[in-house]
Amino acid sequence: MNAKTNAIEIKNLTKNFGQKQALKGLNMTVPIGAIYGFIGENGSGKSTTEKIICGLIHPSGGSVKLYGKEHTNADVRAKIGVLIEAPGCFQNYSVWNNMMLQAANLGIANAEKAVVNALKTVRMEGAATNKYKNCSLGMKQRIGIAMALLGEPTLLVLDEPINGLDADGMRIMREVLTEITQKYQCTVIISSHILGELEKIATHYGIVRGGKMIKEMTAAELEAGCRTYVALQTKDISRTKALLSCKYSRVEEDESGYIRVYDAKEPEEIVTHLYENGILISEIKTAKIGLEEYYIDLMNEKGGR
Amino acid sequence: MEAKFEHYSFDKRLKSMLKVDFRRMFTMPLLYIILGICFVMPILILVMTTMLGGEPADGIATEAEAAMMFTNTWQAIGSLSGGDMMSMDLTTMCNINMLYFGLAVLVCLFVSEDFKSGYSKNLFTVRAKKGDYVISKTLVCFVGGAIMLLAYFIGAVIGGAIAGLPFDTGEASIVGIVMCMLAKIFLTAVFIGIDLAVSVAAKQRTWLSMVLSLMAGMLLFMMIPMMTPLNSTIVNVIMCLAGGALFSAGLGAVSNVILKKTSLV
Repeated sequence: MNAKTNAIEIKNLTKNFGQKQALKGLNMTVPIGAIYGFIGENGSGKSTTEKIICGLIHPSGGSVKLYGKEHTNADVRAKIGVLIEAPGCFQNYSVWNNMMLQAANLGIANAEKAVVNALKTVRMEGAATNKYKNCSLGMKQRIGIAMALLGEPTLLVLDEPINGLDADGMRIMREVLTEITQKYQCTVIISSHILGELEKIATHYGIVRGGKMIKEMTAAELEAGCRTYVALQTKDISRTKALLSCKYSRVEEDESGYIRVYDAKEPEEIVTHLYENGILISEIKTAKIGLEEYYIDLMNEKGGR
Repeated sequence: MEAKFEHYSFDKRLKSMLKVDFRRMFTMPLLYIILGICFVMPILILVMTTMLGGEPADGIATEAEAAMMFTNTWQAIGSLSGGDMMSMDLTTMCNINMLYFGLAVLVCLFVSEDFKSGYSKNLFTVRAKKGDYVISKTLVCFVGGAIMLLAYFIGAVIGGAIAGLPFDTGEASIVGIVMCMLAKIFLTAVFIGIDLAVSVAAKQRTWLSMVLSLMAGMLLFMMIPMMTPLNSTIVNVIMCLAGGALFSAGLGAVSNVILKKTSLV
């Protein structure tokens, strides 16, 4: 295996479900060791791609290579950890029994130790005796991740692991995911709609739409590509917006009540302009758009939103 | 950074798969319910029919009454070859051969639970070779089927003793009854092959796999007493072994193709 081998290399992947084409020649490259944020709208083809990577559904065309080998290769597949949609656990089994079953499936020699370690990693060591059906959604997702971690996978595929979690659940999950990537040093693909959370851990991004990859980039490229804006607060929002709209092409009010000016070169020119028109600014700052806004902008650029 | 992958040999893969499936089967409440039914059913049948018909030695007035009565414990296991194996009386229908339907229930629920729970995602992600799953399920269900038959056999012996039925082997010697049981055990492989193929095709649709398996079981039901009479010989055992091996291998290959070619979620 040469140094340039990627963890995942997908070329021209297509998948048809009857008349519907879910994937239309998707290309994807995930470097080894990356935490790959896989982003897209519902029905854009994220889950289908992940299921194909895991060998759960068969592609209609194209090639999928994992670590330079065909994705059907048994030796490579044995080192994949997966959490797709929901953890595959038996409702009436305890957390421990579900974990032990997966450990047996993976042929782990010291299964008990491996299960204890995995549960500790996801902060679930105290819930081992709980019946799976009695666990909360957040606990179930963490159990799913613990199961995926058994056998120390080289590739971890997580489909929407943080969806449906409350703020505390999300924080724990973020900590867990960060710890996993450091401790296990595996390549991780995470698909999620919660881009703010994804932004905190991902090193690479892939944005998919309508079954096609429309953008792949590193976190550094995203940082460089994210435009800066000036955010300000005044008492007379509507008049301020009207005044700024005459001078700048993109002026918007955000959810927190800030007026954002995207194409201002310096904040000083805005301050001067508003002062000359009798508007006092109570707060002003410069900031960069996040992944979420970048994504929305990109979707708008590509049209159809 | 470079990733190295260990090669997993067939025996290592099969060993771990068998470990999973045996653990699954023996922790399934359904297995114990079915085994309980297998054990209790012959006791109930033998005791109740004897009670309804009076003492076996009292003499039987009509042919219809005779058809409703067990006169020997071993009738709960099978009929003698050359006897009327195609008849639809109680002793022919309500015997150990009913367990092949119970086996269909076990196989269908066992397999469909893998798909319904989502466990198949964990399983097939790390297991690219679908043959491991098919072989393992066949072997584990074969063991399950054998235990079911043994549970029924023990229940029949106990039931016969409680009902006061004779244990006279008559034309069927003890060896014949042992051969009959062995033949029945090997014959389960035929039904497991069918049930497994149907179950992997139906996946999480338990009802579909059950309906199809039971239908296939009904078609083959009359074959069972002919293949495994109470006075079986080694020829019957070999025939059932060969049939079981051929069916489970052939239908196992079909199951393997179904798993390879269809969506697993």
